[in-house]
Amino acid sequence: MKYIAEVDGLEFPVEILDEHHIRFGKETLEVDLTAVSGQPLYSLIVNGESFEGYVYPDERSWQVLLLGRSYSVNIEDEREKRLRTSDAGLACPGREFTLKAPMPGLAIAVPVTEGQQVEKGQILVILESMKMQNELRAPYAGTVVRLRVKSGESVQQKQTLLNLVASISSTH
Amino acid sequence: MFKKILIANRGEIAVRIIRACRELGIKTVAVYSEADRQALHVRYADEAYLLGPSLARESYLRGDKIIDIARKCVADAIHPGYGFLAERADFAAACTDSGLVFIGPKASSIAAMGDKAVARATVAKAGVTVVPGTEGEGSLRDDELLAFAPKIGFPLIIKAVSGGGGKGMRDVRNLDEMPDLIQSARREAESSFGDGNIYLEKLVEGARHIEFQIMADKFGNVIHLGERECSIQRRHQKLIEESPSPFLADDESLRQRMGAVAVQAARAVDYANAGTIEFLVDKDRNFYFLEMNTRLQVEHPVTEAVTGMDIVAEQIRVAFGWQLSHKQEDIRWRGAAIDCRINAEDPYNGFLPSSGRITLTRPPAGPGVRIDTGVYAGFEVSPYYDPLISKMIVWGETRSQAIVRMRRALEEYKIVGVRTNIPFHQTMMDTYPFITGKYDTRFVEEQFSMLDAAENRELYLDIAALLATLVAHEQMEHRSQIYGQSGQKPTWKWAVRRTKPNL
Repeated sequence: MKYIAEVDGLEFPVEILDEHHIRFGKETLEVDLTAVSGQPLYSLIVNGESFEGYVYPDERSWQVLLLGRSYSVNIEDEREKRLRTSDAGLACPGREFTLKAPMPGLAIAVPVTEGQQVEKGQILVILESMKMQNELRAPYAGTVVRLRVKSGESVQQKQTLLNLVASISSTH
Repeated sequence: MFKKILIANRGEIAVRIIRACRELGIKTVAVYSEADRQALHVRYADEAYLLGPSLARESYLRGDKIIDIARKCVADAIHPGYGFLAERADFAAACTDSGLVFIGPKASSIAAMGDKAVARATVAKAGVTVVPGTEGEGSLRDDELLAFAPKIGFPLIIKAVSGGGGKGMRDVRNLDEMPDLIQSARREAESSFGDGNIYLEKLVEGARHIEFQIMADKFGNVIHLGERECSIQRRHQKLIEESPSPFLADDESLRQRMGAVAVQAARAVDYANAGTIEFLVDKDRNFYFLEMNTRLQVEHPVTEAVTGMDIVAEQIRVAFGWQLSHKQEDIRWRGAAIDCRINAEDPYNGFLPSSGRITLTRPPAGPGVRIDTGVYAGFEVSPYYDPLISKMIVWGETRSQAIVRMRRALEEYKIVGVRTNIPFHQTMMDTYPFITGKYDTRFVEEQFSMLDAAENRELYLDIAALLATLVAHEQMEHRSQIYGQSGQKPTWKWAVRRTKPNL
């Protein structure tokens, strides 16, 4: 089984070879994973290097807490990846996308209005969280419907900000 | 010595007090709410009695019931811990009236320090410098406050006279915004403390919060046990405390002056037992009295670590009527201690409180590490009480050894079931201001960020990716084994040896 793990914009291909061996990029590694007392706390030994971390499933990704840092990991198996790439940008007309706040914060700017046509990659909302400004962009071209956030408003994590309906003509 | 003490508290502090009693050979009585039937303090005590429903005001705040239980089980004294009834002068008086010893100061000392405006006036009269403000003016009306404000100068803070925990506090930058802020501070103070009275104080910018531990007996002996640096705070809640303060490290004369003033402030209210004098210290090393906490402090173990004293045992001894076991000149400070408050709060999600059942806890151990906690695997972190899971105190011969030790211990500490602020502490231990000791009370809220500071930590993107993938794969295999095609062997066996739970 082959997987692609994406973290911080970097992709790591992982191929499971057998019970204790994986191919990680070009390397073959010996791995041993065990859940501590049946809990979502895992001990991992990779070629003799020992790690311990928490792994929690989130809505769309996996949260890993390792050595005092938190990582958000997206995992796809090859089949999913193929489906997604063949689908990339080729939004089915009428397909609806729900933009949710990836973190709690303050919507410091909402440069779109309801009914507005937007291009792929256009900024929909700027969310300030932990003093960082995060630009939330349109995944494909479409029309903003149901705008549920105002500039200056505080939002909770996973709160719906707006919905975007893909344009008929949208291919990229 | 006392034969039996009732502990009118819960959680880690109740456990801490029971430990001191055990070592002194004193029987202990726990009281508990319905939510706390399985709590450690209930199981550690010699006797335990139900107070009532989980809400604090129906259990831990029921002074009448607590005194009733103490009398029925023939306890000699009541230790209030911190919070709940610890700073209620009426409760201290009721204990005394019922023939019980209240392990703390006299009711009159609690009352004198409880009204923050009166406390400021009292210590100012005794010659202690307070942050300039409306001390000695009594309760002021809105128009009087507005007239007084320019004399203090801006920025200033509005504070509630019955305040605590940051409630009813407002920073004021100029006169124009002041009327609205007065109204909202009064509203908040009224709803939090049932007292809308407020006072003004100059806002000391770039200030540090440094407090002195006081110990006093009933014979008028008052000593201090040195300082604790408490400037790492978020929304006026302390998160990290340390002793000695890095700010005083090279200034023994300032420490001695502050210690002497702390003793003087305690004497001003005829204080007995353990107490804490809080100071603000500005960039120019001027220090001002802020308030006195007339009780055992959450962070007392920091002082215990550097002095080697058992403050709770000493509280019990002086409450019984013994003299202080040490003179000021006998107190020696050794090494450095740091305390991290481990809270059930998610630092990656705006420090939102996290409740739930703790399914696994693996506290660190080893040289120089102390954990004070009331939780265990199976414990339910409930929304009824504060989010403190434990206090982790480390001691080192030097401050840098203590920081290294704290990093080591934080990494060892594993808690599953609720989100904790352990990653916050880990990140903090890596920030330049903390390492160099150059931080003030605004650091956490104005400069610290989980993201920026994390830049200093080594990245393990590959290991994180691998770990998540293996776990995801295992779960998928697990699902396909349950729901999958029967008879068809999975092409790949689990990479995971699952340890059986409940062993």
